[in-house]
Amino acid sequence: MSATATLTSPRAARRLPVPTLLIALVAAAVLPPLIGRTPILSDPNALLLCRACAFGIAAISLNILMGYAGQISLGQFAFVGIGSFATGIVTGVNDLRYPWLAGVAFAAAAGAALALLVGLPALRLRGLYLAVVTIGVAYAAWQWLFRFERIGGGSAGKVLPRPYFGTHVISGNADFLAISAVALVLIWWLDVNLVRSRFGRAFQAVKADEKVAASFGVDVARYKLLAFMLSGAVAGIGGAVYGTAFGTVTGDTFDYSQSLLLVVIVVIGGLGSRVGVVAAAFFAILLPVWLHLVNGPFTSLFHHGIDGIALMLNALLLMYTIARHPDGLAGAVSEAREKRARRRGGEPPLPPTRPNLPSLGRPSGMPEPRKLRPGTPVLDVRGVSVRFGGLQAVDNASIRVDRGTIVGLMGPNGAGKTTLFNAITGTLRPDTGHVELLGQDVSDLPAHARAALGVGRTFQLIGLVKGQSVYENLLIAQHLATPYGLASGLTRVGASRWYEREVRERADATLEGLGFQRYAGTPVGRLSHGQQRIVEIGCALVTSPELVMLDEPSAGMSPAAAEDLASTLRDIRDVLGRTVLLIEHNVPLVLDVTDELYVMDAGRVIADGEPTEVVQRPDVVTAYLGAAPAREGALA
Amino acid sequence: MLQVLVLGLMNGGIYAIFALGVVLVYRGTGVLTFAHGEIGTIALYFAYFLVAKVGLPWSIGALGAIALAALLGGAFEFLFVRRMVNADPVSTVVLTVGFGLFLLAAEFFFFGASPRNLEPPTKHYFFVIDNVVVRPWQVAALVLALVLGFGLQSALRRSDFGLGILAAAQDPAAVRLVGVPLSRVTLTVWSVGAGLSGLAALLVEPSVGVIAPGYASELFVIGLAAAVVGGLTSLPGAFVGGVVLGIAQSASSRYLGSFGVSGLQYIVVLTILLVVLLGRAYAPEVRRRLATPHAGAPSTTTAGAAA
Amino acid sequence: MTDTPLLEVHDITAGFGAVTVLHGVSFEVPRGSIAGIFGLNGAGKSVTMKCLAGVVPTRSGSVLFDGEDVTRMSPERRVARGMGHVPQGRQVFPDLTVEENLRLGAYTLRRRNRSRYQAALDGVFDRFPVLRDRRTQKAGTMSGGQQASLAVGRALINEPQLILVDEPSAGLSPVATLELDAVLQEVAKTGVTMVLVEQNIAFGLSLVDTAHLMQTGTVVHSGPVAELDDQTLATHLGIGRVLQAAAGSALAARQAPRPKEKARARRTA
Repeated sequence: MSATATLTSPRAARRLPVPTLLIALVAAAVLPPLIGRTPILSDPNALLLCRACAFGIAAISLNILMGYAGQISLGQFAFVGIGSFATGIVTGVNDLRYPWLAGVAFAAAAGAALALLVGLPALRLRGLYLAVVTIGVAYAAWQWLFRFERIGGGSAGKVLPRPYFGTHVISGNADFLAISAVALVLIWWLDVNLVRSRFGRAFQAVKADEKVAASFGVDVARYKLLAFMLSGAVAGIGGAVYGTAFGTVTGDTFDYSQSLLLVVIVVIGGLGSRVGVVAAAFFAILLPVWLHLVNGPFTSLFHHGIDGIALMLNALLLMYTIARHPDGLAGAVSEAREKRARRRGGEPPLPPTRPNLPSLGRPSGMPEPRKLRPGTPVLDVRGVSVRFGGLQAVDNASIRVDRGTIVGLMGPNGAGKTTLFNAITGTLRPDTGHVELLGQDVSDLPAHARAALGVGRTFQLIGLVKGQSVYENLLIAQHLATPYGLASGLTRVGASRWYEREVRERADATLEGLGFQRYAGTPVGRLSHGQQRIVEIGCALVTSPELVMLDEPSAGMSPAAAEDLASTLRDIRDVLGRTVLLIEHNVPLVLDVTDELYVMDAGRVIADGEPTEVVQRPDVVTAYLGAAPAREGALA
Repeated sequence: MLQVLVLGLMNGGIYAIFALGVVLVYRGTGVLTFAHGEIGTIALYFAYFLVAKVGLPWSIGALGAIALAALLGGAFEFLFVRRMVNADPVSTVVLTVGFGLFLLAAEFFFFGASPRNLEPPTKHYFFVIDNVVVRPWQVAALVLALVLGFGLQSALRRSDFGLGILAAAQDPAAVRLVGVPLSRVTLTVWSVGAGLSGLAALLVEPSVGVIAPGYASELFVIGLAAAVVGGLTSLPGAFVGGVVLGIAQSASSRYLGSFGVSGLQYIVVLTILLVVLLGRAYAPEVRRRLATPHAGAPSTTTAGAAA
Repeated sequence: MTDTPLLEVHDITAGFGAVTVLHGVSFEVPRGSIAGIFGLNGAGKSVTMKCLAGVVPTRSGSVLFDGEDVTRMSPERRVARGMGHVPQGRQVFPDLTVEENLRLGAYTLRRRNRSRYQAALDGVFDRFPVLRDRRTQKAGTMSGGQQASLAVGRALINEPQLILVDEPSAGLSPVATLELDAVLQEVAKTGVTMVLVEQNIAFGLSLVDTAHLMQTGTVVHSGPVAELDDQTLATHLGIGRVLQAAAGSALAARQAPRPKEKARARRTA
């Protein structure tokens, strides 16, 4: 995670400039054939490098799924394999004989289709269960799907002819290495664009916390499936390169251990780190060759075991990496770099805690909010009940929030405040009751759709992507303000350029308003709790939502910071003209800022009205402090 | 019909023993292991080494194999898993994947890719049920799985430490607070779970006939699926899961043919796995839908607020 | 009996990741006394208890138990040294029977001296007859109040010198809280040393001798409950004037001497 944070710079207009891409493409296309004609690069070694390129592409594909979107796959070679066989079916001399590029396109489509099938159950299964299912898919593909004569070509295997230009067939391995390398560069470039688009950012949010992602308007299910399909497509392309390099592939080429090796590669390289995973792929493939170069008793003693040693070393490296550095080696490197920087410069000074929130207006990518008839509340909750097993968490609660007010929601632990919040934002479905936002009944809308109507929220435990920078979080939070398509995002052509410029300007303005410019590139997780809270509020406001819902913003803040928070809240109401619903325990803060106060206890709303009056009511005081049960018992 | 049942039970017993190891480790430590297949395989290679190369009797070789498996499981826990206390469970899964690959590589390294053969001690004993050849070790596997699946739990209850193992599965934090050394619990659980994998590999070898790198992994993956189907935390469930998958496999190959290719069993396993998992994932929602018919109008008894 | 306090906490700090929760917590618990830690949400009460148990590592400072530095000791060994726990949410083992729960509670006792177990078990059963009646019932199927009795019994059976009780009333129904109150009053009579964290301040104050009030990770006030006035309570809990009325009524209930104190006075004499 922290690896990607260092890759995505703040002021993020930095992108792979076209000249760099061109240079990389030309180098990839020209160098291998040239070097291949010298004794430096032997034909077998060129083939090995083709394999490394294919593994690099496959590693990028798994990195999209695991590193960005946080979905585990222990069966990635099912997608690689289907890509290989799809290419063979399209280009093979006994099959369709279409050009190679058509084969690659079909490989991508086949990989995406299979990945979609795997992704569907992944919507409901997570973590361990997904791991079991994907390894089952790897086995089923290897032992069943690829054994079909039509797909895997039977025991003889599938033949994938090399591509040709006119009558010239690219038969030399060094020449095909050029094509493999170009493919890797292009996939690399697409992956760079992916990370810097709304799609890559949505993946990061889904990985960090699905509820947080939905609060930014990300349709979690859709983006999970998209991650699977993109990953499958890229893996399919890797399979096309892999199969074409070797010319013939059988089902056993894609056995389950290849999938596992790929997981090893991606974890060693560092989840989320493109450079890391591609480097690890090359390392893993080339390691046996380097071991062969070691002369002497070592190699002659275990002549049949070189591949075994290589795999053992890789596996050991993986186990060491996970046990020591959960972020992978790339994470270890950036960690060390940061530690050094910190030792040199010491802790950076705190920014002013009292932010000056900018008035940004509606982003152009979002529709104007519906005009409300005067007197219509921004939020109207009627009779909401939520039951968890035997616990009535929220019991027939009703709340009304008028435009331009700050409404407080107070109550002891376990009173059901956060559950009610979640029922309002759509994070959970209440058993009964209605929620009306801006005059529209949203009871049946999912969380991301409610966010799109104009609700921003914060979470008790900070709803930010902790591994990403402050700047990146401000972009993630503007998911709804960037309505461009996948093609535009991956190629950085068209609508994406315009929208990206706009959200970056808004992020800049917010950073400046918060006084956080110097922290733009700092991963959020490294900030203090209070600073994280400020950033979170900035994120909740960056798309100018009509209603802002804050869940215990002062928790963990010093009393001084809590006082600053009060003025920030008033600014949100008075300067920005927004409406605030606030869960708070800090009584002075609540009395200070709220226009109206609701008190909950044991799932029920027990009081509402003018704040200073409400907190004096005996039942409120009892709920808050607890009654001495002995005396209550005496009464009973 | 009987044929299907007998075949299924024979295979199911093996799956169940693998599944028991998985469940034991998951219950005791909260880690889902993907390494136990290779632990079984390398234990089997070790038995082969002791019997065929050193010339020890089969029983000693088998004991040595189980001991090695237990040792590997314990060492892995002690050196690596222990450091992952607060880690994401998925990272720990990847760690076990890495250990499995390490052992797979070690198999290649020490024994090469060519298959080996370990002569079972009772090669010539068998009986036939409805045209199915049943061999003693297959029966042994089934009986053992049955006994462990339904007896292990009550056996554990007898000792304080065993009770600690059962309790650790329910609440590891609270176990430390009553003074049970949690690290010894996890070490024991990993060793025993790995030993079971060695045992399962030994019992299945005679039916397959050859030992090759990664060979127990294919059976283990089905055992893993059986453990998940059985609920992942229930020892009897592991037995039932193993037998269900075993019978489903033999039934599918009997009645569905093989669709022209081998390996249909994996599709059957995958299907059952998905049905069970998704069924479990959707069950609460379905139950809730059935339990609470959607009320048309909300009750608005406490609605309204100061305007 | 020696004069050194049974538990000494010197300036401990602790936290998670970038967040520091405890900024130097210090207090002492004399033998035979009951100390209470009070504060609002997020004040650091539970983290303090977890540091005492050894579940959360301290970043600096030290914890002395019975004169011995246990700051780096594992939770298990602290239990063997004589700490007992009634953890947050009670945490009985739901799939084990009542008797099995108690047997696990006596884990270190049975290792020290197995023959004492039966007597200790009878002692717990005598104190909580409901546990004897339900000895073969699965703990998870009992009511909240019964589970609370079991959690307390599970701690007592190991014959601890010190019991750490962490928010016992959390998640209990009002009826179960009454039961729990009776249970804890009962335990207080045995003269065991106890540290209690309680969200329900009125309930907590009725049990303890000494109150330690916490706010944002430090102890802001320590003193005997008898000397606490509503002003101190309200100020130091950081809940301002609003709660003064309630605090006052809770204290009024607390001022009258209880039988427990008389019992203790006799014992120490």
